[in-house]
Amino acid sequence: MSAVGHEVKQSEHSTTRSYVIGFILSLIFTFIPYKLVVNKTVTGTALLISILVFALLQMFVQITFFLHLGRGPKPRWNLYFFYSTVGIILIVVGGSIMITNNLHYNMMPSDQTKKLLNDENIYQIGGGRTGVCQAQHENHRVNISDGLVSPLYITAQKCDTLTFINNDEKYLEISFGLHPEHDAYAGENDIIVRSGKSKTITLSESGSFRFHNHLQPETAGYFTVKEP
Amino acid sequence: MVENNKNNLHIDHEAAATDRAMFGFWIYLMTDLLMFAVLFAVYSVLFKSTQGGPGGSELFSLRLALTETLILLTSSFTVGLAMIAARRFNKSQVLFWFGVTFALGVAFLSIELKEFAELIHEGHTLKINAFLSSFFILVGTHGLHITFGLLWMSTTLAYVIKRGLNSQLVRKLAMLSLFWHFLDIVWIFIFTIVYLKAFV
Repeated sequence: MSAVGHEVKQSEHSTTRSYVIGFILSLIFTFIPYKLVVNKTVTGTALLISILVFALLQMFVQITFFLHLGRGPKPRWNLYFFYSTVGIILIVVGGSIMITNNLHYNMMPSDQTKKLLNDENIYQIGGGRTGVCQAQHENHRVNISDGLVSPLYITAQKCDTLTFINNDEKYLEISFGLHPEHDAYAGENDIIVRSGKSKTITLSESGSFRFHNHLQPETAGYFTVKEP
Repeated sequence: MVENNKNNLHIDHEAAATDRAMFGFWIYLMTDLLMFAVLFAVYSVLFKSTQGGPGGSELFSLRLALTETLILLTSSFTVGLAMIAARRFNKSQVLFWFGVTFALGVAFLSIELKEFAELIHEGHTLKINAFLSSFFILVGTHGLHITFGLLWMSTTLAYVIKRGLNSQLVRKLAMLSLFWHFLDIVWIFIFTIVYLKAFV
């Protein structure tokens, strides 16, 4: 690695040559995996193993020809330290990958999450849509004027949206289920709609439901959400 | 005779100091390598966690990654040539080859920043999912090292221009070149594990 002044002068030519050889080999070991991936001559695990092997070859080329590791005076503490680092890396990286793969296999976290989201009808988390209702579907409108709901019955597909429009002077408090004990619909409950305004919910829970204005319970309507 | 002995003793002393300093720096590099290894482990574990969003094959450009690799590889080669010149105390060649290395480093960094800026502009930010978090942290940490390497290079070269080459500065340049080779090796794994692997 490091060398004393007068020694280097003698081996200068060979050092230049080692850099040139290293550079050419590195270029080769860069282009081969690149071409393998682009051309897809091999696929899957074989391709993965090949590109990793080329990365390791490249590393050994650079360590030998660029870093000149192991050429310093003995004992080669830097070399030993390098080996022990590689050992720790193998344990940390290999161990992490192995453990989490087992975890994925045993827990299947993504499927579990999907199932949970579907069961609980959670269609939004932190503002982002979940897998339940990814795309926008049809919009249905309910007008509420003079305490009357029109249309009284709505039939929608799952993931459609429903808009409550308040044409009255007073604000609405849309609740689901029977008055006065309310059920939440798809996580929504007691939706405040101000006078002249509207509120939209996503119909991510299927079934037949009743809604009413909590402040005026006789103002009520029904909607049915069907599975697609 | 006595003079000669003194001189030899001086060279031996210098060489021992250089060896010690280089070994110390080597220890730093190895611990840095451990940090990168942990980031690689995190990336390998999380790269599938896209929450239904686009993965690496839809977001990355292999051509761009190859360009970055070739630039960094060439800079690793030119820093080697610069060190050969430095050991000969050839100031003009040192400045030339380190200048080339510096320019290549800046080119690499600007491509990386452009890639990051495009991803962020399209809404693929650090916060979107675990895959993007681990990608930005891993590649960004490498980019940060490159940035510090460039800063270090510019200050050391300023010293070379101002004071000329001496054995102490050559030692500093040797550490810098070691750092630069090290970053190239780390990049090889980023190129393989992040970019190439995304298209497998």
